[in-house]
Amino acid sequence: MDPVFRWIESTSLSVWTRESTSLLAYPAILSAHAIGMALAAGVNAAMALHLLGAAPGIPTREMRRFVGVGWFGFWLNAASGMMLLIAYPTKALTNPVFYLKLSLIVAGMGIFVAINRRLSTAPTALEGWTSVQQKCFAVASLVSWGGAITAGRLLAYTYRRLMVGF
Amino acid sequence: MTSFQMWLVSVFVSVKPVARMMHTAWGWPLAESLHFIGLSLLIGTIGLFDLRLLGVARGIPIAALHRLIPWGLLGFAINAVSGAAFLLAEPDQYVYNPSFHFKVLFIAAAGFNALAFYMTAYRGVTAPGAAPDAPRLAKIIAAVSLSLWIAVIVAGRLLTFYRPVPCQAPEPGFLATCIPGFHDTYWK
Repeated sequence: MDPVFRWIESTSLSVWTRESTSLLAYPAILSAHAIGMALAAGVNAAMALHLLGAAPGIPTREMRRFVGVGWFGFWLNAASGMMLLIAYPTKALTNPVFYLKLSLIVAGMGIFVAINRRLSTAPTALEGWTSVQQKCFAVASLVSWGGAITAGRLLAYTYRRLMVGF
Repeated sequence: MTSFQMWLVSVFVSVKPVARMMHTAWGWPLAESLHFIGLSLLIGTIGLFDLRLLGVARGIPIAALHRLIPWGLLGFAINAVSGAAFLLAEPDQYVYNPSFHFKVLFIAAAGFNALAFYMTAYRGVTAPGAAPDAPRLAKIIAAVSLSLWIAVIVAGRLLTFYRPVPCQAPEPGFLATCIPGFHDTYWK
């Protein structure tokens, strides 16, 4: 894969993201990635905590109004994450932890979609799900997002190669 | 303020066990992961509450959503502890970092803003039978809260780009943004 990594790293977009001293380059992208994380993981955490019994007065079905916030966070991070990947493709793609992080995000988003489908189609909230099922989904969601965040943080410590030739 | 900053650093440096723990292979990454999980918890509860005051998800009674706030406070507590661990382990990297100065300022402002909310709009918006639409004052406080927490995240993320470097004597100013000299405690 090295020729591909080398090509990506030589593109002007990659060089700019990596080397520009502008606050709009790497610093802004990292900040966006943290804000997106807070929104995506935050909305999911709030939903999971509610499904586990927190704030029982919330009409569960109405939580679907916050689904857009979760998606906004997700797409902000898909975009900013892509920029980070373009800046350092070798660093991410040669690190197994990166694939673990992506898998945990796929799991977290899968649970998010499954819960939302229930919230928007069932006439009453989560009809057809037993409370045990609800709680299993909620715990799986918390584990996935907590794991994704941790794996993401570990990327800074676990990479073997920063760039091709380094 | 420079002498206050130097005093602060010397006090933080003297707390050795935390620094030792943080400088193990797992200390720093673990504290960082907790810091990010805590901030997600905070935004996921306090941030959603702010959005609710601003008019999102009107079908949820404000008082009911407010029951999630303790989880946001838990997130804040996680971040206060993990944040203190960073500070005690590498005090000069924060005490002289301009991004950290702004971060502390934004956190303090968010605290006062929350206090203002509880002293003014809170009772009205959470009273039984309260209107689904929050009054203008509550909306302003919510918008300020959301902006401040986002500013806290940005200032936190920018810390690494404003790492202070050692200098002989700092430029005169309100706060030193370089590490003045090396006091004896530094390398111990």
